[in-house]
Amino acid sequence: MSVPAIELVDATKRYGTSMALDRVSLRIERGEFFCLLGPSGCGKTTTLNLIGGFIPLTSGELRIEGQRVNDMPPHKRNVNTVFQNYALFPHMTVEENVAFGLRMARLGSGETATRVDEYLALVGLEAFHDRLPAQLSGGQQQRVALARALARRPAVLLLDEPLGALDLKLRKQMQVELARIHRQVGTTFVFVTHDQEEALSMATRIAVMSAGRVVQSGTPRDIYYHPVDRFVADFIGESNFLEGVAVRDGARSYVRLGGGSTVDAPADAPPGSVTLMVRPESVSVGPAPATNGEASLSGRVIHVAFIGNHTRVTVRTPAGDIVALRPHSEGSASSALDELLDQEVCAWWSPRDSTIVAHGSTEKIDERLV
Amino acid sequence: MVDPIPASHQPRARSNLTRGWPFLPAGVVLLVLFLLPMTVMVAFSLWRTNSDLDVVPDWTLDNYIYFFSEGTYVRTFLKTLIMAAAVTAAGIATALPFAYFLVRYVGQRWQRIVLLAVIVPFWTSYLLRAYAWQAILGEKGALNQFLMGIGLIDEPSRLFVYNDLSVWLVLLYVYFPFAALALYTALEKFDFNQLNAAQDLGARPDQAFRRILLPQIRPGVITACIFVFVPILGEFLTPTLVGGAQGALIANLIINFFRGLQYTTMAAFSFVIAGFVIVVLVIFRRYLRVEDVVARG
Repeated sequence: MSVPAIELVDATKRYGTSMALDRVSLRIERGEFFCLLGPSGCGKTTTLNLIGGFIPLTSGELRIEGQRVNDMPPHKRNVNTVFQNYALFPHMTVEENVAFGLRMARLGSGETATRVDEYLALVGLEAFHDRLPAQLSGGQQQRVALARALARRPAVLLLDEPLGALDLKLRKQMQVELARIHRQVGTTFVFVTHDQEEALSMATRIAVMSAGRVVQSGTPRDIYYHPVDRFVADFIGESNFLEGVAVRDGARSYVRLGGGSTVDAPADAPPGSVTLMVRPESVSVGPAPATNGEASLSGRVIHVAFIGNHTRVTVRTPAGDIVALRPHSEGSASSALDELLDQEVCAWWSPRDSTIVAHGSTEKIDERLV
Repeated sequence: MVDPIPASHQPRARSNLTRGWPFLPAGVVLLVLFLLPMTVMVAFSLWRTNSDLDVVPDWTLDNYIYFFSEGTYVRTFLKTLIMAAAVTAAGIATALPFAYFLVRYVGQRWQRIVLLAVIVPFWTSYLLRAYAWQAILGEKGALNQFLMGIGLIDEPSRLFVYNDLSVWLVLLYVYFPFAALALYTALEKFDFNQLNAAQDLGARPDQAFRRILLPQIRPGVITACIFVFVPILGEFLTPTLVGGAQGALIANLIINFFRGLQYTTMAAFSFVIAGFVIVVLVIFRRYLRVEDVVARG
């Protein structure tokens, strides 16, 4: 394998007695769009600040392009940052903001002007050279910050929740923009966010962090469908959790749940006490399973919510509440779901779509489950 | 402002007139306490005092000529300017790190307490504070007692007081709060994240300070300079109490003319200072505007 863009080895940051970062090891390959995802206080921003050089490591090692940079001051590191509040220089025009880093690098005035034009064009702000930051919208300021950081052509671009201050529509737009810019410049991006959707839609790889540690890292698909523990499953998207005991019976394995019901378990389920996880969109609801071999639970529909693109159906079963997220086609289909309220139904899913997760931290991040 | 409605338009004209009323109290204050005395002063400075010490309204420039022809006055005036500049420089040099540290590293609660401590001396009269310094620096003062106590000197030194240095020190003490408050206000609005951004973009800490912080707090620095520099040009109390013969500033000489009933000379001298202050303010103003233009590219 080639030299990674960023390598953290047992990186630890302690403030007094509190551990902001606890022996984190990460390897970020060149050209990746790497996402550090986690709730506030999980250490993701600390990790970014360590790479940027704004805070020193307590112990461990940090390498940028193979070079140990633990003690290198920020202005000498070959990384640039898009700050959370952009930190544009209000007394300088857009052009001067972008040129600042190039002047510091002592690029000639001709080359500086060319680069400023190039990167302002990249972010679509060709016509804004002489504006002051205060004369720009939030989205435009964000683009200036991006152009300013990229113009130095760093080995790694660090982005600290850059979309947090934008409204929803603009945020979606910028997600597409960021992905395009990443493809176009090919620079390694390290992106910090607490928004799982942002991470899933943009990242090539995600590291989910909690309490100063990396809980799981992998591709968005990996993390979504095979979360290692309940915390990750809970943090990324919505999940149904069923506690029970896994039993292997010859070729078949099943989970005995609370309330006496049993469901088929995924093939790799280890015997013993387990938590079974299934995503709401994998759950079907109806009078009876369409085919054999499905895991199914019967219960009563206690809630039906129309949420625009889907309908959410909550079924109360002896083993606990199961949430199903069902698409609705035109007209009759959606009202058909509405009519399920208070009906006795079956909730079923394919055992392949369920996963055994570790109990992990029981910290509840998302309370959307009804 | 261009008024699109003709002045003859009656209702409009009336409303313009009534709209002026809120300015009346301030106008009266300015007229009675500022413009009127100043006019009298200008007139006096251009008149003559006869041998009976009466002011005679003979128009003449003699008073001004007298000021510039006497080496002592010009020298004392220059010395006053140097003193004001030295105190201003020291004031900025101490207040800037102080305010920077306070804003950046001290929590809101403690900031308020420290600022209160900076302002507290104003609750005591200036005269008392200057006397206190006399008590500290004097021959039998606290400083001498202390130095003799720790055995550094054998007998009281007279070097601590009644010279330019003691005047500079006490003036610095008196005017430090003004500089500190002006700079604090300017720094409080500054986003320190910009310093990280500058370093992230390759600027050394000193470059980040010069190119990012300083331009943005320039108005505060200029305000601090004005608050310190200008009042020192009229300082006479501190030089009187801790300056002795050596430490006299131009205002001390002006006071002497007042005591000698030479009102016309006194008025002229005062106007030399006033004229200088106006020039300084105009320069600062121009400087501020130029900066705004530069900042816009």
